[in-house]
Amino acid sequence: MLLGNEYYLGVDVGSVSTNLVLLDYEEQVAEALYLRTMGRPMQTIKEGLKQLRAKFPQARIIGVGTTGSARQLAATLLGADVVKNEITAHAVAASRVHPGVQTILEIGGQDSKIICLRDGVVVDFAMNTVCAAGTGSFLDQQAGRLGIPIEQFGPLAIEAQHPVRIAGRCSVFAESDMIHKQQLGHSLEDILAGLCQAMVRNYLNNVGKNKDIRGPILFQGGVAANPGIRKAFEEELGQEIIIPKHFAVMGALGAAYLAQEKLARAQGERTASRFRGLQVVDTEFQASSFDCSGCANHCEVVEILQDQTILARWGDRCGKWSSGKGEQGSVSEVNVR
Amino acid sequence: MKVGYPRAVHYYDYFPFWAGFFQGLDLELIASPLTNRKILEQGLKKASDETCLPIKLLAGHIQALSGMGVDALFLPRMVSVEEKTYLCPKLLGLPESVFAAVPEGMRILTLDFNVRLGKRRVIRTLEEFAEGLGKTRAEARQGFLLAQNWQERYESRRHEGRSFGESMGEFDPRLAGEAGRTIRFDNPDRDESAAVLTVALVGHPYLTQDNYANLNLVAKLGERAHVRFIEEMEPQGIEQGLQGLHKSVFWSHARKIMGAGAAYIGDEAVDGVIYLSCFGCGTDSMTQDMVARIARQQHKPYMVLTLDEHSGEAGLVTRLEAFLDMTERRVQRESNFSAHG
Repeated sequence: MLLGNEYYLGVDVGSVSTNLVLLDYEEQVAEALYLRTMGRPMQTIKEGLKQLRAKFPQARIIGVGTTGSARQLAATLLGADVVKNEITAHAVAASRVHPGVQTILEIGGQDSKIICLRDGVVVDFAMNTVCAAGTGSFLDQQAGRLGIPIEQFGPLAIEAQHPVRIAGRCSVFAESDMIHKQQLGHSLEDILAGLCQAMVRNYLNNVGKNKDIRGPILFQGGVAANPGIRKAFEEELGQEIIIPKHFAVMGALGAAYLAQEKLARAQGERTASRFRGLQVVDTEFQASSFDCSGCANHCEVVEILQDQTILARWGDRCGKWSSGKGEQGSVSEVNVR
Repeated sequence: MKVGYPRAVHYYDYFPFWAGFFQGLDLELIASPLTNRKILEQGLKKASDETCLPIKLLAGHIQALSGMGVDALFLPRMVSVEEKTYLCPKLLGLPESVFAAVPEGMRILTLDFNVRLGKRRVIRTLEEFAEGLGKTRAEARQGFLLAQNWQERYESRRHEGRSFGESMGEFDPRLAGEAGRTIRFDNPDRDESAAVLTVALVGHPYLTQDNYANLNLVAKLGERAHVRFIEEMEPQGIEQGLQGLHKSVFWSHARKIMGAGAAYIGDEAVDGVIYLSCFGCGTDSMTQDMVARIARQQHKPYMVLTLDEHSGEAGLVTRLEAFLDMTERRVQRESNFSAHG
């Protein structure tokens, strides 16, 4: 049983946003932070922890889970107990907050995925391939071009009377299509709604191809904040789309649940967390990279340092650096950039 | 005379055949180094950007050979290796389609290898080829026998379930030391008690066996699962997997992938199937979907991984981990409750 000031921390470091979730003793979300990564994941993680420390000065973090594309980096900085891919983290969060969920639609900043669950177990999933046309970044960019704040995008789109048809296959073509429609005199609302429909069509044709989409359907990720997209999904699928309360931070929530599960499994002797403590905020980390010249591959090795001590290295193919063996290698072996 | 053979495309299937043939002619046939970053980068520069990743790698390997002191390159045009099938159109376009990658002044040895014309014509072609190199017809016939023998030996080793490195190492000394090199991931989350899975990795051997091109996928997969390959499937198994098709598949590789993929899907000892493909592959664009349909019918975990020339492996690792998590949980669930409830 957890005490009042004990929390599990879940961290999801994605390309666009970095999310932190504190899970309290009642398995409720005590705090959820949604920060922009702005291309500086290390600073953003520290910024998030700083905010948590300010709000919960008494908090004791007893387990940490990380996910997202920078999960390895976050795990190194924080000392994580669980490092999990985004798909598993999203699925865990969704089935905990909405048991019985059968399909998860997730659209984030740079990627989108679909996850099919049956009886709480992932049975199928898909992620977008190389194109970012169906993701949040594209909507962001178009909102910027039309001069409307992204928060108003959805509310305006659902006002549309006659959504225009926009090619959704490629974001470059979609943009020129939108400009065409706008020059013909279509209203902004109709264009925005058309864009939502195009994006949903693109998502269902690419990511959702051949997937057995059954209700209840959860829609999560930052784009779920956009009611225009939700409406387009409901029209296309002919079903109700549920948006969970913490839709934007479901990955982080899943990571927190995974940390909880992992540490609960070892109940009794209650394993100590690997968490390095909230004082991590005051620690200086440096990241640097070099080309290893040990073989013709010239791997780009990244190293994370804390006060000149190497915390972790990765990026090598052979494992010479990531397994720590490289430290014995002579310095002349590497070309420091 | 030292002849170079690029470690790309059909190397991964037929090198023992050509190594045996050249041995019979008393000529040295050496393969280019294992794929590395430089080879890939040079390949990208020299090959047409319209083509597929394996042909780009081939262009890189051709250049790598020029620095190895070889007197000539051997670039056969493999048209057909078994009855009623062809190799893929991009392989039929060799060697002309990669001439731009051949260093100036380098001699190219080539021949058309086409089993559809009958064994006698194949032997005649080999004889003519040998004569061009100052060898006798008798030596060519000797070479052909040895070639067949080595190829069969390689294939039966693979059917026995021996690794690619071990089986090929017998004919390509460079591989002997490289087999079994793996990468370790420091993952605190690794659940040691998790069930060990068996996953079939289906796809062209030049992708599944080239550890640079596939971003070390086999080693990563090997941390949590036993990995099976299409080369391990005996011809009867492939034949069985192909049953029920309306029309026979006439590309050798696609046929093998399709048959072995379907057979692995039907095999209860295999927990999941991963199809490894690359951008620009014409035959995969069809077979990956045909295999997907069979997997869906039989409720087998299935995923397509598409390789490109990028070196960022984060996307690959995420998909792979998620696939293994999913497969593990499904296996655990099925063993806890009634099977296929």
